[in-house]
Amino acid sequence: MIKVENLHKNFKELHVLKGIDEEVKKGEVVVVIGPSGSGKSTFLRCLNLLEEPTNGKILYNGTNIIDKKNDINKHREKMGMVFQQFNLFPHMTVLDNVTLSPKKIKNMKEKEAKGVAFELLNRIGLANKAESYPNQLSGGQKQRIAIARALAMSPEVMLFDEPTSALDPEMVGEVLDVMKKLAMDGMTMVVVTHEMGFAKEVGDRVLFMDEGKVIEEDIPCNIFKRPQHARTKDFIGKVLHAY
Amino acid sequence: MDFSFLTRYYTMYLTGARNTILLALFSVLLGVIFGIALALMRLSKNPILKGFAASYIEFVRGTPLLVQLYIIYYGLPQVTGMRFPDLFAGIIALTFNSAAYIAEIIRAGILSIDKGQMEAARSLGMPYNMAMKHIIIPQAFKNILPALGNEFIVVIKESAIVSIIGIYDIMRTANIVRGNTYRPFEPLIVAAIMYFIITFTLSNLMRMAERRLRTGD
Repeated sequence: MIKVENLHKNFKELHVLKGIDEEVKKGEVVVVIGPSGSGKSTFLRCLNLLEEPTNGKILYNGTNIIDKKNDINKHREKMGMVFQQFNLFPHMTVLDNVTLSPKKIKNMKEKEAKGVAFELLNRIGLANKAESYPNQLSGGQKQRIAIARALAMSPEVMLFDEPTSALDPEMVGEVLDVMKKLAMDGMTMVVVTHEMGFAKEVGDRVLFMDEGKVIEEDIPCNIFKRPQHARTKDFIGKVLHAY
Repeated sequence: MDFSFLTRYYTMYLTGARNTILLALFSVLLGVIFGIALALMRLSKNPILKGFAASYIEFVRGTPLLVQLYIIYYGLPQVTGMRFPDLFAGIIALTFNSAAYIAEIIRAGILSIDKGQMEAARSLGMPYNMAMKHIIIPQAFKNILPALGNEFIVVIKESAIVSIIGIYDIMRTANIVRGNTYRPFEPLIVAAIMYFIITFTLSNLMRMAERRLRTGD
């Protein structure tokens, strides 16, 4: 579904991604782990061109999305993204947050958009917050709404950029639960996270990144129980120790 | 102090007030429209648009309004070959002037919005202009409302300067009444009070608008 070939990204002098070759299959849940500064988020943000790659190809169902001829907005419609800082639109109600893009981009009628929104809000258990404004919500609620907002565009892939890192510990669970359900429903997902429990339980494949490269990748139990590479061992040892 | 001249001249003052309000209203409305355009140009990646907007803003901020007014008043007919009503020249001059200040206010407002907002909008598939219109500018406006209200009040006060090209605004009325009655002082007091009533009403309206926009906070 997504094929990444020799992806490089430079921020001025800083070489953040040093040649990444990856493939994400339909329905697969890929979890990206690694120390901070390893390029995980940059890699994820390249997938919908929030960062413009310096070099390489990103093929989405065969089309190179980096090619300027292809409409990036059309591509982004198919790719939902969830951010660490939620980034809900604070000047709109929850309902408007969720219905805005289906109405404006897909020209969906008000009634239909509302229907879609309430179905999603029901699924995450927040239909009663439809008329609230984002800053009346807790962090966990905000992030669940952000997921619903992305899903309202019926994306084919969901990208998660450290979705639980800005949450209070007691709210991490409710967000991970929504993500787990999503994965079970067969959504293709790429998740950058520090939640090793989630990676183990939900991930089909785990990528370990360090210094701009994918050092090691495998099914979760192998990565966590039998890491091959010294740096993976070191990292897994540290994070699992913290548990 | 003797204000008995008012019985004779109050209609003139009211006409003056109407013209001052018309002048300020149109200048501010057009100023906001041009100001948004200038701010977006200045924030764009296109070096020509950016350079134009930046130099325009610097020029307007760096020259006196009186000079700008004369340039428009005497220059416009010469360049276009057409005669414009005085009020029109006044509105153009004030618009061009306030647009530059409003552009800077709007630019600051847009820059004050967290870049995650633009990213979230773009990640949903919104094109840049749509994201600006629905996400960034509404939030920016809320933040800059106090500064914008300030600029509106400045425009109303600065509009007194157009009396110099013969527009019958409050200031010009005061000058005429001064000449006719040989009273140098009282007609100005009346003008000052009228300006104050207009600006004070406006600042209260702006405060109400701010409160309404704060519902989401």
